[in-house]
Amino acid sequence: MAKDNLPNVSRREFLVRSAALSGGAFLSIGVPPALMSGAAAAAAEPATAAFTPSIWFTMTPDGTTTMHIVKAEMGQHIGTAFAQIIAEELEVPWSKVRLDMPLESVEDFAVYGLAYTVNSGSVTTEFDRIARAGALGRIALTEAGCKLLGAQMANCHAAEGRVIDKASGKSVSYGEILQKVKLDRKFSYPNDFKQVKLKDRSKYKIIGKSVPALDIPAKTNGQAKYGMDVFLPGMAYGALAIPRSRYGAKVQSVDDSAAKSIPGYLKSVTIDDSIGKCTGWVVALAETYPAAVKAARALKITSDPGPHGSLSLDGIMEDFSERLKRPEESAAWVLEGDVDAAMPASEKQLEAQYTSDMVCHATMEPINCVVQHASDDSWHVHIGTQSTSFLRMTLTGYLAKVLNKKPEELKVYVHQYLVGGGFGGKQDYDDALAAAYCVKELGRPVKFIQTRESQFATSFPRTPTLHKLKAGVKNGQLTAMNHDIVCGWMGPRFAVGKQFNNGTDWLQLDSVDGKKADIDQWSIGGSDHWYHVPNHRVRAWNSDKTTWSVQASALRTVSNSYNMFVVESFMDEVAHAAGKDPVEFRLAMLNGKGGNRGIPNTGYPAGTPSDYYMDQLWISLPWPNPDTWPKYESGTVGGALRLANCLKVAAEKAGWGKKLPPNTAMGVALSSAEERQSPTWVAGIAEVTVDPSSGKYRVNKLTIAMDMGLAINPNNIKAQIMGSALWGASQVMSERLTYKNGAIEQTNFHEYQPIRQVDVPQFDIHLIESGRHPVGVGEPASTVVAPAVANAIFRAVGARVRHMPITAEAVLGAMNKKTA
Amino acid sequence: MINLKVNGQSLLSDAPPDTPLLWVLREELRLTGTRYGCGLGLCGSCTVHLNGQAVRSCQINVGDVGAAAITTIEGLHQAGAHPVQKAWVEIQVPQCGYCQSGQIMQAAALLAQNPNPTDKDIIEGMNGNLCRCATYPRIVGAVKRAVQMMKETNHG
Repeated sequence: MAKDNLPNVSRREFLVRSAALSGGAFLSIGVPPALMSGAAAAAAEPATAAFTPSIWFTMTPDGTTTMHIVKAEMGQHIGTAFAQIIAEELEVPWSKVRLDMPLESVEDFAVYGLAYTVNSGSVTTEFDRIARAGALGRIALTEAGCKLLGAQMANCHAAEGRVIDKASGKSVSYGEILQKVKLDRKFSYPNDFKQVKLKDRSKYKIIGKSVPALDIPAKTNGQAKYGMDVFLPGMAYGALAIPRSRYGAKVQSVDDSAAKSIPGYLKSVTIDDSIGKCTGWVVALAETYPAAVKAARALKITSDPGPHGSLSLDGIMEDFSERLKRPEESAAWVLEGDVDAAMPASEKQLEAQYTSDMVCHATMEPINCVVQHASDDSWHVHIGTQSTSFLRMTLTGYLAKVLNKKPEELKVYVHQYLVGGGFGGKQDYDDALAAAYCVKELGRPVKFIQTRESQFATSFPRTPTLHKLKAGVKNGQLTAMNHDIVCGWMGPRFAVGKQFNNGTDWLQLDSVDGKKADIDQWSIGGSDHWYHVPNHRVRAWNSDKTTWSVQASALRTVSNSYNMFVVESFMDEVAHAAGKDPVEFRLAMLNGKGGNRGIPNTGYPAGTPSDYYMDQLWISLPWPNPDTWPKYESGTVGGALRLANCLKVAAEKAGWGKKLPPNTAMGVALSSAEERQSPTWVAGIAEVTVDPSSGKYRVNKLTIAMDMGLAINPNNIKAQIMGSALWGASQVMSERLTYKNGAIEQTNFHEYQPIRQVDVPQFDIHLIESGRHPVGVGEPASTVVAPAVANAIFRAVGARVRHMPITAEAVLGAMNKKTA
Repeated sequence: MINLKVNGQSLLSDAPPDTPLLWVLREELRLTGTRYGCGLGLCGSCTVHLNGQAVRSCQINVGDVGAAAITTIEGLHQAGAHPVQKAWVEIQVPQCGYCQSGQIMQAAALLAQNPNPTDKDIIEGMNGNLCRCATYPRIVGAVKRAVQMMKETNHG
């Protein structure tokens, strides 16, 4: 079945060709014009011929160049970054650049590949490929322009949207070329792609410049379009009744007699949950959204809560403790040297137990979508999503099942809109499945919007975690370290619906000790830090019960968000035990030796995610053969030495070691999120003041130094660092999600409290451009804040809190323990 | 039918009087720049002006608006060039953008009442508006820039 969804792609040629235009259809391939999204339709202008040398951009005869962005625009301004990269090589003036978001369809999947925005990977994985596309476009235009000018190719070059003949001084604009010449240039694929020479970075005019983000103006005047801003004729509204449990509930009966008295109420629909999504969901449909919300609240639903109905957070933590007692059930993630031999040989041993709570994405935009079953029997989803392709594939399979059709008989299109905050929380697609099922039942288009309450109840939280750590210190150095992690693994849960998305196996890695056991990188990553520890072991346990009951999922930086808190807090504990300064102690271990030197220039094929887990995941998808594709430099080049450099910069800028007021101290932490194979190097120093009478603390200042290789847009990178660091501050200070009797307890922002203006610290941000391959900047800074704050609290008042979030009560408790 | 004064226009709504103004603006009048975030007045995404005062449109029933003048983000300035909007673009505040209509409406009302706010005034005045992308430092920076722009205009 899955194979039917797979396009057979083997593009041997890279066509550079003018295409005749009809209406606005040139904007993105295959868009049925009547259904073009607002975002895509905006830039339509009359023209005679369009130049679409690649899937990544289209140039019209007035020289306007529209970049087709297949990544979700969710606050990172990825479209602007991609456009800067393409425009730089294509030599178009920035004022001529526009953006659109292509339609996701089975046909275009063959062209664009997988549309999926996660892992801080967009720039890392696409930089090389889109730069080459831009360069080949420039070559084709230069050749054509040269001919028009009657010049020699050797004398011609392109700049600012013009082809210039050095010999005569004459020039012709890209627009004039497109008006006069029918371009039909072929480049071999992948050879010409590989051969094309990219610009020397010293010649960059657009990359590295803080051009204003192209998506920002519309976000200041009400014109920005999100999924719920779509209106279709005859549309009804849907609101979800809060299910009896987070997962596994079975609806037994629905009594809508009270709902029937609400004007505009249409009907209630119990969603088909036979594929294991939307379990226990009942949606109330009405003529208006307020009526749908009222009706959803008025429904009397009897449900069996399912297998987790009596489970609570306490029960999950007990399950974790029990599992830790059974090492035979663990899988190994890191195995260096011999921890069992080295530990007793050390002079001093240290043990600690850490825990972290659940948190959720709580995006300001609750998940929503508009679904339509069009008259031509196609299905259209209007949504802002991180999982564009997987949504389409899964919905195709789901609809086939509930309509009793074959998947290949169905045409499903996903219209991408702006995403009102993603953070990993918009990569599931239950909502679109439910809305589509309602459309099938009602026979009308449906706009489905989660209420804030139903959004919390059905969120996909970060798993709770339990960690046991042990360290052996000899001669003031960390000689042995063991880190045991038990939590809910998200991999198995992601695989729900995998029968519809190419059979992708989300659990592919094997235990490194040769044991026949799977391991889930997304739940363990970050524990494989870059410190040189001669004997180092990380073992992991999956609490299946947790995975399913709370629906564990990926949240900004994924497992780094708790593993960095634990590793970096513990490093300070070890430094303290060894009598060393935390900065000096870390620097001594960041020697870049052995596996910590990074992988020199092996790179990964452009267009595929950079880490090996993702390589395996993507293997069945239509990417070019890795052996024939140009490779880009690995983000790991330089290894731990780059992290050491960040630490030195941050320590110097923060004035590490300077005298501070009473109960005030600095704490330090490092991070190499996102994955070990795709690191962004970050050092963070938090200055914190603690009130010793209450345990309350304030983060005064965050100093952050980040090496992202090449900064595409420095001003935006600073914004991303501030935002993500505040995300980290929010996680350590106040965010906590709890689970009781099978359900998430928090309902709205009075119970779940993200950071607000009054708690914002000062910032001092330093971008380090090491000249290496550019890597992601939207997430990694969030991971250094929690441990840096924890370490600062310890240095300020001697309170070591081994739980995230760090509450005032916990600080006070730890202070009392110290004095007891 | 309820007669509403929205962005200087007289508009009719046939929503029941207990309908939150937010949904009338968004779904009936299609002024979608006003955003739904929480429905309880906790996040500020739905902020509009009622006779110049910043209010949470999810907390006001359409039947209670009466003759009050409603201003949404679409009506703050006919060309989207209110000093706060200009400052928001210049300082490059928005990330995902979803809460920003509410932030801008809150800031515009704040400055209308207090043209010379201190940092503390700004932080406290904007504290009710959540931003999950945490664009907070730039929001403060942009409010200050808007203050400057307004002074330049007044003296220019």
